[in-house]
Amino acid sequence: MYLDVNPELCTGCSLCEAFCSFRREKAIWPTKSCISVLKYEREALYIPFTCQQCEKAICAEVCPVQAIKRNAHTRAWEIDANKCMGCKMCVASCPLGGVAFDPHRGRAFKCDLCGGDPECVKVCAPGALKLVKGPEVVLAKRRRVTQNMLHLLQNWGVETHV
Amino acid sequence: MFKYRGYTGNILRVDLNRQKIDKIPLAESLAEKYLGGNGFGIRFLWDEVPPEADPLSPVNLLIFATGPLVGTLIPNSGRIEAIAKSPLTNMYGDSNAGGFFGPELKFAGYDMLVFRGRAPQPVYLYIEDELVELRDATHLWGKDTIETEEILRDELKDPDVKVACIGPAGENMVRYACIQVTPQRSLGRSGMGAVMGSKNLKAVAVRGTKGIAIAEPDKFHDLALEFHRRLRANDVYPAVSKYGTPGIVSIMNMIGRFPTKNFQYGAYEWADDINAESLHKKHFVKHLACYACPVACDKLFKIKEGEYRGLACRSVEYETLNGFGANILNRDLASILKANDMADRLGLDVISASRAISFAMELWEKGILSHGEVEGMDLSWGNMETVFKLLNMIAYRQGFGDLLAEGVKRAAEKIGRGAEYYAMHVKGQEIAAQDGRAQQSMGLAHVTSNRGADHLKGFPTIDETGYPAEAERRYGKEYLPDMADPRSIKHKGFLVKDGEDFAAVVDSAGNCKSGGTFVLAEIYWEDMARAIRYATGLEIEVQGLKKIGERIYNLQRCYNVLCGISRKDDTLPRRFLEEPNPSAAAKGLVCRLEPMLEEYYYLRNWDPRTGYPTIKKLEELDLKDAVDRIGREKLIYSREDMKPDRSE
Ligand code: SF4
Ligand code: SF4
Repeated sequence: MYLDVNPELCTGCSLCEAFCSFRREKAIWPTKSCISVLKYEREALYIPFTCQQCEKAICAEVCPVQAIKRNAHTRAWEIDANKCMGCKMCVASCPLGGVAFDPHRGRAFKCDLCGGDPECVKVCAPGALKLVKGPEVVLAKRRRVTQNMLHLLQNWGVETHV
Repeated sequence: MFKYRGYTGNILRVDLNRQKIDKIPLAESLAEKYLGGNGFGIRFLWDEVPPEADPLSPVNLLIFATGPLVGTLIPNSGRIEAIAKSPLTNMYGDSNAGGFFGPELKFAGYDMLVFRGRAPQPVYLYIEDELVELRDATHLWGKDTIETEEILRDELKDPDVKVACIGPAGENMVRYACIQVTPQRSLGRSGMGAVMGSKNLKAVAVRGTKGIAIAEPDKFHDLALEFHRRLRANDVYPAVSKYGTPGIVSIMNMIGRFPTKNFQYGAYEWADDINAESLHKKHFVKHLACYACPVACDKLFKIKEGEYRGLACRSVEYETLNGFGANILNRDLASILKANDMADRLGLDVISASRAISFAMELWEKGILSHGEVEGMDLSWGNMETVFKLLNMIAYRQGFGDLLAEGVKRAAEKIGRGAEYYAMHVKGQEIAAQDGRAQQSMGLAHVTSNRGADHLKGFPTIDETGYPAEAERRYGKEYLPDMADPRSIKHKGFLVKDGEDFAAVVDSAGNCKSGGTFVLAEIYWEDMARAIRYATGLEIEVQGLKKIGERIYNLQRCYNVLCGISRKDDTLPRRFLEEPNPSAAAKGLVCRLEPMLEEYYYLRNWDPRTGYPTIKKLEELDLKDAVDRIGREKLIYSREDMKPDRSE
């Protein structure tokens, strides 16, 4: 499973960050959230960003103490905080910024899909975040993209009858 | 660590004269008695700003205050409150905005900012957790609000910095200048932007990386989640979420409560051209939300063709569509968006600015203003070229704009010749797009609001278009059917008083009145008490919370009393009292203010002859210092024996 993100629907409310951080910190602490809403205010563009739960997870591969393991049930990569020694190899090697570092505890942390029932998905009112199983979402995404293309074509005056 | 969670426990005091910044602890008693937001604000104003002070002098304070729920999980808890003595009304003033500035201030570790004095040259305050600095803002002076924010984000190299700033209107101390906060939300009313300008303070930029601790995390989390679920299940959620405040244009027009031509009418012939449906069809791009808000009532709009093609704007409210639409007889949406964008950039309160213009247009129509006085401009209704020109002239205080920059009350006094009749204000603040003749409670709310004409203090929504179910749930069956009937005056004193006390708490805790507490009326006293209790650890029940609301409201009133306000100022423009509304369901109605006011004073235990709180009330609210300051001889002990006749 992984989080499917649709930035077009994101309103920028940051509820995902607030609830995500609250789950692990019992405090509202956006800098300790596993999901970050990247904001481009000039364009009013908001992009929620989080771990992709890669199939070949570089974070797990580089971890010298094998603290990052796949949860068999959710297929999320989880960090065993007891094992993590804070070397930040995972932080450095994830090409997407999926792992963050908690300077207070000296441990790396990342999205673990809340064990299969993610807080962020629960509170995202516009439905910009969805927990998806696998490739079935791809077709929907492709449709979304073609929809945009159709609009473009229509703007160019091409008759599409859609 | 501060005794209560939810708060940071720190206040920043900035002395602009000496360029000195102090971090001081928040007093526990302040949290216990005043909660936050405008509660904190009035206490500081009361203690430190002499009522005779000129609001634009260095003696005035400019306060930014958050509350214990700001930045938490509670729906729409992103509010920030600005408080100062108002340059528009010359008494208590505050305004409230959503967005992200308030939460960021708390993440940086501060509940409140208090500015005093005046910087020798333009400055801005930069806060990054412990790092707090006044920095030179000469290069920002003269820039509009959107430019200012963008420049600050660029030069601080931080896309996540949150900004509160003023535009040219604030710099030039237009009496209704606003402060804009990230992203384009406005601390609109009461002229807080002028106070900021008078202090040579261009902006505050804040970035925080800390967390907000909660007293009872598990209970708080579940309650917040419950609030979110309830909001999203509320009957009006889909409509409010889809359209935001513009959604009420059509409804208000139907009940004759959509001010047209400077309140000459209560309905607009072309309302369909400027309603939410048209706005969406033509200009909608996407939904935008304030911090922690599932409603997302703000939208991004774009003008796709014509003269203003490419213009993108946000924060287009019901008030905007009325102010730059029906209010001045303009049915062209694109030009309304253009005017809104101008007002936002210049840093003008849309409500007051548009009313100042409609006031001028009516004077022109009635022949009170001469050609020469308005520099040969054509002020006929709906002339948008003139409107754009006037907005600039107001913000830069040029020529005739300088007069309008003073607000309609002062402008009318200067003009004379009967102009006062057309100045639609209460205590100096221009009236929002709410007609007290079509909704009687709204008329009352305008006169009892402590910041002058205003719809958001009492915020009577129950009888707007009739919410009998909600009236019954909140107040009980015995108040129906009158409570939910906008044309009835029965129980409206009660409705407005309860609204004011509750709103004082909502504004102080840090919630939004559009999403959850008043418009989507899901969250009420009991919910609020639980949220505050779980968040802070303050042992607070409904009764205690009501007392806090009353205390805040009464202290604001006491401050106003010291500023010279009394019974005689609790009134509406004569148009509302004498000229029957000619439109729609409100046809033939005037606002029957007096009986509602009687009931209101009675319920407040205020003296109906002077409008002053009584000694008994003030003592009950632990406001003995107010009794002493106003003077016992001016106050009476109690008025409880004077029960008014409440039958219609
Ligand atoms: S909760 Fe949803 S809408 Fe809100 S910021 Fe996160 S992804 Fe965007
Ligand atoms: S943290 Fe980075 S590398 Fe590891 S699974 Fe997530 S996205 Fe992939």
